[in-house]
Amino acid sequence: MDQFLDISLFNSTIRMVTPILLAALGGALCARVGFFNVALEGMILTGAFTAIVGNHFFGNVWLAVLFAAGCVTLFSWLLAFISLHLKANEIIVGISFNFLAAGLTTFTLRALFDVKGAYYDKNMTGLPTWNIPEVQDIPVLGGIISGHSPLVYLAFLLAAVMQYYLFKTKSGFRLLASGENPVAAQSLGIKVRRIQYGAILASGLLCGLAGAQLSLGQVTMFSEGMTGGRGFIALVATMLGQNNPLGVVASSLLFGFMDAISIRLQGFSLPTHFTLMLPFVVTLIAMFFFKDKSYLQHSNKINGRS
Amino acid sequence: MHNLKQNAKQLIHPLVAIVLGLLAGAAAILVVGGSVTETFAEMWKGAFGNFYFFTNTLARSTPIILVGLGVAVAFRAGFLNMGSEGQMLLGALAASLTAIYMPGPVWIKIPVIFAVGMIVGGLYSAFASWLDTRFRMNLIITTLLLNYIAQYLTGYLVSYPFKDTTGSAALAQTQMVDKSLWLDKLFKGMSVHTGFIIAIAATLILYVFMKYTVSGYEIRSLGSNPRFAAYGGVKRGRLMLFSMLLSGAFAGLAGTVEVLGTQYRFLDGALSAPNYAFTGIMAAMLASSNPIGTALAAVLLAALQTGGMGVERNTDVPLEISSVIQAVLILFVTARISYSFIKRRKGGAASGSVS
Repeated sequence: MDQFLDISLFNSTIRMVTPILLAALGGALCARVGFFNVALEGMILTGAFTAIVGNHFFGNVWLAVLFAAGCVTLFSWLLAFISLHLKANEIIVGISFNFLAAGLTTFTLRALFDVKGAYYDKNMTGLPTWNIPEVQDIPVLGGIISGHSPLVYLAFLLAAVMQYYLFKTKSGFRLLASGENPVAAQSLGIKVRRIQYGAILASGLLCGLAGAQLSLGQVTMFSEGMTGGRGFIALVATMLGQNNPLGVVASSLLFGFMDAISIRLQGFSLPTHFTLMLPFVVTLIAMFFFKDKSYLQHSNKINGRS
Repeated sequence: MHNLKQNAKQLIHPLVAIVLGLLAGAAAILVVGGSVTETFAEMWKGAFGNFYFFTNTLARSTPIILVGLGVAVAFRAGFLNMGSEGQMLLGALAASLTAIYMPGPVWIKIPVIFAVGMIVGGLYSAFASWLDTRFRMNLIITTLLLNYIAQYLTGYLVSYPFKDTTGSAALAQTQMVDKSLWLDKLFKGMSVHTGFIIAIAATLILYVFMKYTVSGYEIRSLGSNPRFAAYGGVKRGRLMLFSMLLSGAFAGLAGTVEVLGTQYRFLDGALSAPNYAFTGIMAAMLASSNPIGTALAAVLLAALQTGGMGVERNTDVPLEISSVIQAVLILFVTARISYSFIKRRKGGAASGSVS
């Protein structure tokens, strides 16, 4: 029994990590082109909401996921337009995007479904779980790896693809160059602006998937502010992972594990306040121990340290 | 003349944003099938329609003004303090516990309560700035994370150790503060209390402080040109600590005033649910951190919220319409659309380059 519980803890870690990982990958892409994306939180929230809306109208989970990804990509285009084209401060715009996402989702929730706070429909089906035939029979590993929603596998696959793309392909190299030194990249004929747009749009797409996993994968409902700070934790995961896809996987796993433990501890007689607080405390402590240099330059730029 | 022109320029920008925000609101109303004129009329009535609603708006704006002022100080110094929520919560809890458990005459207790509320709020904020200067932990992220920690910590404290066990209500709240410590209502039967006067006084004091004192000048110069400030001998670390301390103290004051003026106790969620802290941040952003502008923006945002309640009461349009208007408004202000359009037209060649 004891061991069974342990496996389910790791299993739920894999599940909890997915929204954070997807969003953090998006954050890493943005950071690689020199864009500090504070709007992850709002984008995940929008994704979670539009996924439910899509599911409600199309009655199909896959269309719902696509719908969410599309909507958030559109949303992130606005973010890109305002911060790149109109040259507004990316942090301030990011923060106001979080406000915008919160405002729009609560309003639309009310306008579409006429409910306050949360929307739940018992006839709505969430994302299916995949039991991988061969893998699920492996004694310990099978219980951990098998039986997740497809988005979970997609998240890890995307991390690997991104690692390959960034460090092994020409186009990935151009992306890195345009973040490393935009002026030099521009002078070599790399279309820096276009690459920046692309990265932000891709982060929107990833956050849309993250939101869909949150509202259709982990539960089948939407509640106001259901992201509950995951976007910010993803931002920290991006920093701790040094904007490196595989590093981001590692740091996201840490935070997903904390999320899973936090839920697990609720079964014990501990006050829920502390279990809910745990992920945030661990995130702070993690920030203390691991510092990302490239990120530091960024914060220096923002905070005005030369 | 030059000054006048500059002031007008500063004003045009938020005004354009307000118009755009209202337009977006109108679009949202049309989408849900309401009447635009009727909805806006109800919104106006709900916010300023009669004396009761007007004072209601002022009461709601009180904590928003104070939080906004605090955020404005930090913004002016160039630090994005996103932790007002946590600072306000801890300040409010510390103040209410002092009010409940401290012995002594009222005239000693009142200043001590205010001091404790402000100091606790300030220290929580200074902690984040210490993490930044000492350990280079990014301020925006730490302050955001500290919000959640403060929220759960205060929630725990009022659900277990300091829970009110005298009443029959099973709410997570402290005992009620003694009546002698309550802030007076400004008008009988109206919700606006002396806290509003405190907020206005704080606005004026902050305005004078930022404009006419050495520290105020240092804060402004650090925010607008850090390198020049460093050249001029401004010590960044110390000033950061100071401005964040001040910023948190304002948030703590907001919590204290809300406890003594409206809630009379610390009730879990009563300060977070109306979103005072983030509305305060919006107010500071809206007014580009000018103290007087921040206070005005806070009243405007409070009016949007109380007006939204009026809309909810009398039309089919949901209350959340005000959050749409708010969000769009803040977006357009931050985007500085009007400004950058002008700038781009002037410097056409520059627009092609990478920033």
